[in-house]
Formats: sequence, C-alpha cells, structure tokens
Amino acid sequence: MLTGRSRFLDDLHPPGLAHLAFVRSPYAHARVVSVSVPQGAPGLLAVLTARDLEGRARPLPIQVPEGADAADEPHPLLAAGDVRYAGQAVAAVVAESRALAEDAAELVEVEYEELDPIADPAASDLELLRWQRSGGDVDGAFASADMVAGGRYALPRLVAAPMETRGALAYHDPARDLLTLWCSSQDTHRPLRNLSHVLDVPAERLRVIVPDVGGAFGSKGPLAPEAAVAAVAAMDLGRPVKWAEDRYENFVASYQGRGMEADVELALDGDGRMLAVRARIRADLGAYLLPATAIPPHTAGMLMAGCYTLQAAEVSVTGVRTNKVPTGPYRGAGRPEAAYFLECAVDDAARALSLDPVELRRRNLIAEFPHRSPLGFTYDSGDYGRCLDLALELVEPGRAAGEHLIGTGVAMYVERAGGSFEAARAALAADGRLVIHSSTSPHGQGHDTTLAQIAAERLHVDPAAIVLEFGDSALVPGGTGTFGSRSVTVGGSAVARAVDELREQCLRAAARLLDAPQNEISWGEDGLTAGDGRTLRLSDLAAAGALEAVARFESELVFGSGAYAAVVEIERATGRLTVRRLAAVDDAGTIVNPLLAEGQVLGGAVQGLGECLSEEATYDEQAQPTSASFADYSLPTAAEVPPIAAAFVESPSPLNPLGAKGIGEGGTIGTPAAVSNAVADALGGRHVDPPFTEDKLWRAIHE
Amino acid sequence: MRLAVRVNGEHYEAEVEPRTLLSDFIRHELELTGTKVGCEHGVCGACTVQLEGEPVRSCLMLAVQANGREIRTIEGLAADGQHPLQRAFHEHHALQCGFCTAGFLMSLEPFVRENPEPSEEQIREALAGNLCRCTGYRGIVEAVGQAARETGG
Amino acid sequence: MKPAPFDYVAARSLDEAVGLLGEDAKALAGGQSLVPLLNFRLARPDLIVDINGLSELDRLERDDGLLRIGALTRQSALERSDLVAAGWPLLSQAVRFVGHPQIRSRGTVGGSVAHADPAAELPVALAALDARFTARSPRGRRTLGAAELFIGPLTTALEPDELLIEIEVPRPPEGTGSAFVEHARTHGDFAVAGAAAVVGPEHAAVALLGAGPAPARAGAAESALVDGAEPGEAAMLAASPVEDGARRALIAELVRRAIEEAAP
Repeated sequence: MLTGRSRFLDDLHPPGLAHLAFVRSPYAHARVVSVSVPQGAPGLLAVLTARDLEGRARPLPIQVPEGADAADEPHPLLAAGDVRYAGQAVAAVVAESRALAEDAAELVEVEYEELDPIADPAASDLELLRWQRSGGDVDGAFASADMVAGGRYALPRLVAAPMETRGALAYHDPARDLLTLWCSSQDTHRPLRNLSHVLDVPAERLRVIVPDVGGAFGSKGPLAPEAAVAAVAAMDLGRPVKWAEDRYENFVASYQGRGMEADVELALDGDGRMLAVRARIRADLGAYLLPATAIPPHTAGMLMAGCYTLQAAEVSVTGVRTNKVPTGPYRGAGRPEAAYFLECAVDDAARALSLDPVELRRRNLIAEFPHRSPLGFTYDSGDYGRCLDLALELVEPGRAAGEHLIGTGVAMYVERAGGSFEAARAALAADGRLVIHSSTSPHGQGHDTTLAQIAAERLHVDPAAIVLEFGDSALVPGGTGTFGSRSVTVGGSAVARAVDELREQCLRAAARLLDAPQNEISWGEDGLTAGDGRTLRLSDLAAAGALEAVARFESELVFGSGAYAAVVEIERATGRLTVRRLAAVDDAGTIVNPLLAEGQVLGGAVQGLGECLSEEATYDEQAQPTSASFADYSLPTAAEVPPIAAAFVESPSPLNPLGAKGIGEGGTIGTPAAVSNAVADALGGRHVDPPFTEDKLWRAIHE
Repeated sequence: MRLAVRVNGEHYEAEVEPRTLLSDFIRHELELTGTKVGCEHGVCGACTVQLEGEPVRSCLMLAVQANGREIRTIEGLAADGQHPLQRAFHEHHALQCGFCTAGFLMSLEPFVRENPEPSEEQIREALAGNLCRCTGYRGIVEAVGQAARETGG
Repeated sequence: MKPAPFDYVAARSLDEAVGLLGEDAKALAGGQSLVPLLNFRLARPDLIVDINGLSELDRLERDDGLLRIGALTRQSALERSDLVAAGWPLLSQAVRFVGHPQIRSRGTVGGSVAHADPAAELPVALAALDARFTARSPRGRRTLGAAELFIGPLTTALEPDELLIEIEVPRPPEGTGSAFVEHARTHGDFAVAGAAAVVGPEHAAVALLGAGPAPARAGAAESALVDGAEPGEAAMLAASPVEDGARRALIAELVRRAIEEAAP
C-alpha cells in the first residue's frame, strides 16, 4: 500500500476484460411495465434482464435468526415485476469499457408505472420480520416497580462508506467448468455459499478469491446481487466480466446500517435496582430481505438486558418494509443499537430517580460470571465495574462554562462475538517454510500480523518467518466468515490449535530423527534440542519430510464489554456541538496485539463520532435518497477528531485457548451512546437522537 | 485525441477520448494502479497525484488536460518504501486497509517538506482533504509529525 | 460514474473560446465544480472548451487602487499572494475555507464565481468588497456588480455564450478590518452558513452565505453599524429575514463574530 503495489479488485485487469454497469430505477416504487433493450451501441456486448435470469439464477437466500418469522421477500438479482427502491437494478449492461456500458445503459428503455412509495417506517404496516423473546416475570416486575422510566430512542440509517466500493470480477473457464469470482469481500465463504445457492452449482465448481480489500465494515459480507449478475454475464460471454461499483451506486444500492427505533421501559425499585426491561424495537428494513438483513435487529433484541443484573426482560422486534435499499450489518450490527437504546433509558431512569447515572449503573452491574441473561445469552466473563471506573478516570468530567452548555455522559455495553467455527492449516513445507492457511480474511484489521504472531509465539520463531495465506477458497479450509469481531477469537484459536498440532508432529519427527525420547526434546529459538544437546533446525526437520496439521475451532459466543465516556460542549446561541474528549475502555479478553487492537478501537470510535456529528442516510417523502454523495453525506476528517483515550481491561474468556473476545466493533458500540448521554446531560435531561446537528440542538435549547 | 505526458519521469504517448479522466488514464492506460479511485467527485482524496509538485484530484482532471505536463504518482515516491513518510506510516500504524494511503502520501509529501515543526492542529487541517474510514487518523497524525521533523526546513 | 461523451477543444485565444461557448458548449477552467457534474452526468455538454491555456486570464495585479483578478487565477495563488493579503485581506481569509489545498491548486476564482454554488465563499467575499465582474461574449464586454451577477443557486446572469474574464476589486476604505467566518459540518465541507465583514469607522459591509438563494449584502445591518450599533444588534438585523429559527440564530452568531473579528 505504501509503494502502490497493492491489488484491489479494480486493479485487476485480465486480458479480454468486459465491464458491467446497471440500469437502475429512478423511482422508489413502480411497476416495471416493459424493458426494451437497444439493438446495438458502441462497445455493447450484452444486456441482461430478469427474464434472462429465469431458470438460471435464484435470488439470494435469507438468513433467518433463531425464533424469528421472516417474510419470503428475497432481493431479486434484477427487478422483475416491480421495483421497490430508487437505485434498484433493473437491467445489466456489459460493454468494452465502463463508460461505454454507462452509455448503453441509457439506451435501455424501461417503462414504469409509478406507485406510491413509503419512506417513513411509521407509515408502513408491511412486516418483513418479527421476533420476540422474554424471560423472567416481566409483568410482575413492572407491577411491583416503584418507578418506570424510559423513552423513545432512534438511530437513523447510515452508510458504511468504505473507501473502496464493492466489486466483483467473474470468469468462467469452460475447460474446467470452473467459475472464479474475485470479490471485494470480507471473506471467501459467504460469497461462495451464496453463489452456489444462486446459480444452483456445487461449491466444487466455484472458486472465490478475495484480493486486497479497502475496508468493508460489514457491508461486504454476503454476495452482492450485482456480483451474481456478473457471474452469469461471464458465463454467457466467455470473457471475464468486472463490476466495479461506483460511489453513487454504493450510496444507493449497498445495504445500509442502523435504521432502528425503540420504545424502552425500565422498571426499578426505590433503591434504584433494575427489576426488568421492556423494549419494542422497530427496524426500517427497506424493500427486501438481503441475506443478513434480519441479523442486526435480532442481535439488538438479544442484548437489551445489557450489563445489568435485572432478572426479567421482554423484547419484541418488528422489521417493516419501506421503499428504500435494504439494511444489513454495519460495524456493530445491532450491538450499537442495543447499547444506545438501553443506555439512554438508564440515564432517563437516573434522572427520574434523581440519582447520579454512574451510581445507578454501579448498583446494577453484573459482577459474577458466567451470567445468564433473562434473554438467553450466557456472558462468559467480564469486569464491568473496572471498565466504568477506568472510563471515568480517563475522561475527566467537564465543568460548565459561560456561553457553552457542557455535558458528560457514560455508556456501558456488552456485546456478543465469536461463535461458530473457523479452521486453519499449519504446515512445515519441504523447503523449511512455515505456512499457515487461515479461513478468515483480513481486510485491514491486520489479522495477518496477529495470526502470524499467534503462530510464531507457539513455534518460537520470528513472526516474519510465518507465511500466512488466506482469501482463496481453493487454498484455505472452510470457515464461517470475517464479521462480528470473531477473527482473532475463533480464527486465531483455530490457528493456535493447528499450530499446536503441528508442534506435536514436529516433536514426534524430531524424536525419531534424533533417536531420543520425545519428552526430552525442548523447543527453543535455535530449534529442537535433545537432552544431550544435539539440535535440529526446522529446515533439517523439513528436509526429512513435510508436515501438516489441520484444525477446526468452534466456540460458543463470547461476550466483550466496555464503558465509554464523553464530554461535549454545545454553543448556546447556535446549537453547535463539539465533542471535547472521549474515553474508550474495552474488555475484549486477552489482547494479542495491543497496537492493532487500539487501531480498531480508534477507527470504530471515529465512525461512531461520525454518526453523532453528521452521518445520516436521508430520504425525501418520495423515498428518493437525498444524501447520495460525499458532498451530502459528510464523513469525519482528521480535523473533527477530539482527543480519545483508549484503554483495555482484560477478562480472558474461558471459551478459547487465547482468552480473546474480539475488538473490532467496540468503538462504534460505545461512542454514540456515550455522546448521546453527554448531549442529554448538557441539555438538562432532554434527549435528542443523532446526528446532533446544530439545528436539532438549537431547537432543543430554544423551543 | 493525442496525449503526451511525463509520469514519474517517464514519457508516455497515447490516444484518449476527451472524457477519459486522468485517474482512469493513469490506472488503466498506464497500468499504474497505486492511485485509487474512491468517489469521482473530488471529496475523498484517494486519487490524489502531483501535477508538477502540487497535489491535485486526478478524478477531477481530464486526461487530455495533462498534455505536456508532468505528473507524479505514488509509484514515483520511493519504490523502496524508504521515504520518511512511508517509513513513518509503517511505524505508527497509519494504515489499515491501505486504500486511502497513496492519496494521503501524495497530499502530505509537500506538507512535510515545507513544515519542519507542525502543530497537531496544523497537521489535522492538512489531513482534512483526505478521508480514511479505518484508522481514526491518530496514527496518520503521528506519522506526519515524525516525517515533518525528519524532512522539513 | 463516467461522463457522457463530448468533444474537446483547448482554446488558444479568448476570441476562439468565446466564439465556441453556448448552450451545449461549456468552459472548463479548474474543473473542481464542472467535472463532478460531468461524472454524475448532471452536465452533458456536447463540447468542452478548455480555457486553461488562456494565460492572459491568469493574473493577479494591482492597477491603481483596484485589484484585478483574472478569471483563471488559481485559488491557491490568491491564497499565497502577499499583494492580496496586504490590500484585500478578506479574500485571503475567505479562500482558506474553499475546500482543501488539493481543490485550491486547480480551482479558479472565476470558476467559483461563475458556478455560483450557494455555499461558495468567494462570491460572498467579493460581494462584501463591492467587486465588479467583467464578461466577454460575441456581443462584446460588459461589467456587472455582485447583486446583478448572482441570481440564485448555481445561477448567474451570465449568458451561455459569455465567459467571465476578470474581477475588479476596489480597495477597502482606509482604516477598515475584515473577517470571514463560516460553519460547515466537517472541515472543508460545503458551508452551512457564513459571513464576510469589512468594518471601519465609517464603513460597513456585511455579506451573508446561506441566508438566501444567493450571496447577499445585509444593508440594514450595514447602516446600523455605521450609525454605531453594537455587533450583536447589527447581526440580529442581518439575520432577521431568515425564517427558520435555528438557521437565523446561526447566521446571527456568525455575523456577530465576523463583525467583532473584523474590528480594526
């Protein structure tokens, strides 16, 4: 990256490459009456409509979380009878260049019959998702409560906006009947599974390769419908076909994050002990269910008991349909929403009880682990009190000052991470190289460094001696995917297991070669040494025969946690917000690489800050996107970032050999809740939802 | 249209359409893919190259406008990765996915040359023309401070 | 997002350029506003007339008491100019808010004026300085004031075949100071609101950004200041036509700060 030698998706330029562009609906809701395709145009190679996909490709599958009811409304690859969001792909055009494909796309004539769009989720009674869960005596708790407090809290839709947009390059080799898809993706596994489902082709005839990826933040998980269309076009044309999403497409057609609102009630007794929580969560899911659309609302629901000892909880989640692009996982994926809804309610409860918000939390923090939440999760370990103490120490609560309103806010969070399985292959190659194949794919997190570190420590070699390979389904063992902060936890544990297996094999081989008892062989930096001092280097061992170990690691969910605190300043006369400082304390279990872990926290915290200051995916009453460029959707620059103090508390997880829990998402989970509570504090208890624009805050102060 | 341009010290001649953007010309015609494209409306800075030493958005120039001019891309910075900025970026974990990095380096190279002791505020302002979604900018700020001290003045 | 096809001419003379411009033929200067529109296909001219070769339009000089800014003057040149900093400091102050250095190294003063984005800084600063704008067309030359030139968002009085060639800025009166303030969501982002002020013992010029469809002078506030009003009072007058309460408060605050910071 530093010298320009990276290879991202759009850097790939195989011979004979053709380019894909889409005809996208200008209307948010319309019947597609007819599609007529131009007879010819400069450089035009093919046009595909829904009709051309009939019998050849299915819509993407829908992942339904446990216990949920999901509508059978998958996202079609290309719109057939109707379009349901502005920007939805109606036809695909392949040409000799992207510019020529865009020219030809303008010649495709689509006749639409406009229908009334629904932009406001409150106005929609079309449900795509329903889920509920309860545990403990909720009614009893509310009936006996001395105080019931809470409110309505909302997080608007956001755009993940990785610097590299999505993309896929497909090539079908007829001789081997192998379809290869290069994909700017978070992992190889989900695109592979999705492609296999869409094309109804066994995985053995597919290969997915992930090149360098310019960020994803959850938005490049399941296969994009456009990538599936590229695959079909490649098969038809017999040439490689590339779809390089442009920024406009990314704004209108890439699934968005957040977009949830909740009514939360806390039941407390006179001593400020939390008895129960009730939450009704409403999610603005958009027009269809993409593979992972249902996941974040479910995750949010499951985490609504938070870090607290309350014994009863009742949560319902309703996902409604609107004429917007669907939502899906975006860094945090339900955890920030849960933290936001609950932590804002806790502060409202504190004000209702005239109790200090920190004190209210202290009276209710879980202190014994494992802890079973009334909603069904079992939290493995944690030290919530310590996180809270440290966050307060680091933030130095603010003092009032003249024409500015000052506020301090805290927020706790607990999150679920890990889970499912990953795999790794560790090998000592005949030429002496140590090669690890991991099923996880890094896309900027530095997993390569972290995984190499894990392996190197166990093998007593320099991390630079480890060759780490990933991102090619033909080379790596199957896994689940890179998301949900699970790569070090589960992927790293798989590497640890595989390496431990390899160690065993090396010791056995060394024992044979040295003709010495295995238990007398020690492993140090010089190699393997027998009791009498004879040493074998790894290269000697390799010369006698390559060794390989494969391991799979599966785990229950692990539960990271944290406490965030913020100090904000609001200019009374204008409502302008400045975040003065932020403290981020995360407990991600054992931290393998502190520098990389801190990078994740800071990056996530700045994304969380963007959410607070300026980010919001907006739509007008016709459900037209009105923030579809960086000119309208403002990302934070370096000049917006306040001092951030980050620290780690380490409560190792008993559920994996590393004790790790995952740190990728903490920054986005804790920041909006803490800043929001600080804003409410500055406003004397009045709650406002993000983004905290000057006109919203001015109105809160003056109206 | 005929185009003659010097890129990283080498002379190139090509036939291009007027509408071809300089960013696409560099990446696809010249196959110098180190320069990235992030938005095509001049906000993200990923496409920044130097036009006779001045950082410019290559997505906002037509390739034909570079006729007779001199351009430097990331490939022309220091192939061995030993420019003080490159080293500092590496040491301070100033990149995660790396997609925005080339744009930052091309924007910052004149800044560190001309500013031996920039304040944090000055650095943050100088960085404001390039977006990074991964790092939260702290590592970049630290790297720039180090590189400026090494090269400035 | 790739532009729709167009023809391209690198004009070699002002006459040539002016002769080619029209409804479907647009001038390309810095490209920082036009090229995004081309990329989004929001602008689809048949012909692009590149005027970057017209070096006679790229000059920044003092002519008696006037500053003559050639339309092709790069924003970065304005920013670096000692001449401008000494005699017309408002322009140096305002140009620093225009985008980022990478934008300013290509963007031109004339381009910013002709594009007339309602969030643009230079039109507001030039309006506060009573600048006059000269354009060439096949019909000859004409010169307009800011109020005549800036009609609405992205709309000026320039005809499709007219090219802005020069901006004349009279020297601010002796003894005045100036300031430019603005509020944007993020650093370098399009301004939400802003104010330019040039104030002195017997002179007050206040121009507003984001208060209406085009940069506007706050006449009532200016008179009040000359009559001795406090900055806060004048700021309220300047902002009073703005209907939205929050926007009005923001503009009032920015105007007040601009007046106070401008105090010589």
